[in-house]
Amino acid sequence: MRKMMHVEDELTKAAATGNTYRVQFLLSNGVNVNGVNKFGRTPIQVMMMGNTPLAHLLLEYGADPNVPDPGTGSTPLHDAARTGFMDTVQLLIRFNADPNSTDHSNLRPVDVARRTGHMDVAEFLSRI
Amino acid sequence: MAQESAVQYEPVAEIGGGAYGTVYKARDRDSGQFVALKSVRVQTNQDGLPVSTVREVALLKRLEQFDHPNIVRLMDVCATLRTDQETKVTLVFEHVDQDLRTYLEKVPAPGLPIDRIRDLMQQLLCGLAFLHSNRVLHRDLKPENILVTSRGQVKLADFGLARIYSCHMALTPVVVTLWYRSPEVLLQTSYATPLDIWSTGCIFAEMFRRKPLFCGDSEVDQLGKIFAVIGLPAEDEWPTDVTLSRQNFSPQTPQPITDCVPEISEKGAELLLEMLTFDPLKRISALNALEHPFFTE
Repeated sequence: MRKMMHVEDELTKAAATGNTYRVQFLLSNGVNVNGVNKFGRTPIQVMMMGNTPLAHLLLEYGADPNVPDPGTGSTPLHDAARTGFMDTVQLLIRFNADPNSTDHSNLRPVDVARRTGHMDVAEFLSRI
Repeated sequence: MAQESAVQYEPVAEIGGGAYGTVYKARDRDSGQFVALKSVRVQTNQDGLPVSTVREVALLKRLEQFDHPNIVRLMDVCATLRTDQETKVTLVFEHVDQDLRTYLEKVPAPGLPIDRIRDLMQQLLCGLAFLHSNRVLHRDLKPENILVTSRGQVKLADFGLARIYSCHMALTPVVVTLWYRSPEVLLQTSYATPLDIWSTGCIFAEMFRRKPLFCGDSEVDQLGKIFAVIGLPAEDEWPTDVTLSRQNFSPQTPQPITDCVPEISEKGAELLLEMLTFDPLKRISALNALEHPFFTE
């Protein structure tokens, strides 16, 4: 027996699996881009970080790029920096993600990029 | 197996699943990294977990010891007793925030440079040759479970789970894609490592096309679409132990593969045809594919 998924969970699932068409469909049908799923996370917090077009779609619909993970304090910019996806990092900055936000270990996105060896991302963030 | 480490791995989104279990994107609170939690519910008795499950998990852990660069890391395995009869086994895998589908969608016209395709294919085949040399079949290779890191490293995911899930999956109406499925699987005859090479061939073509090669909507339709390109196999090539007879398909002659994949090179076309060979015994192996002149042209 399959339980019905709430639309918020549908949207975070589509965002996390990089299904841009599904995200587009749900957003254009009025699903809240900043709605939280059953784990208290919004789509931009769980999106497939390497899928820059999907990130763009969420941001254009008004996704808040500065919402921190309640457990670790990581923002989407921290996660994009940690995974090294430069295009997504640049996009988040363009949509006003805060490069100076700190996570619960007091690390900024630039520090996370350095620690994970993504020097191109670290370089970019250090110039802002 | 360790006891539940739910505190360490906090789910952030459901990303897949069915009646057999659920897949979550989760965060490892120690490292801050994302991980993939794959859980399966298994029936247990007074002897504990079924031998088959223990064996499969042991195999995955043994593979992990090789630390192969083109295979996702298995970071942890947890078992939680749910009831007297049921245990939840959770496998914690490395999570990569980009799959090949996304990677190909992002490529601007006119498509991927052939050198990039050569590199992706070499890594994919290395991962596959490693699995096959350990007698592990992937069984479900597709762009969604071929992961590509931001450094361009290819990592295969979702291998070896099929047998853990198999007994549950038969009961589950989960829709699985047919597009990468080999003829022998579609015909429900015996299969082995060549089935993954067929899928790899379909994916190889897709890297050039940036859209899938064979998009069938049923087993018969899928076979029809395959034969429209590779031609209807000869009578003596048709397996004898199958219910679907060759007469169900109209006679077709093979199309030049360059009609479907115009951007491919000459050596690339040769390799592709050796992967998309109907007879699994005549299909190229992962190891031999790595030696193909396509990689040195």
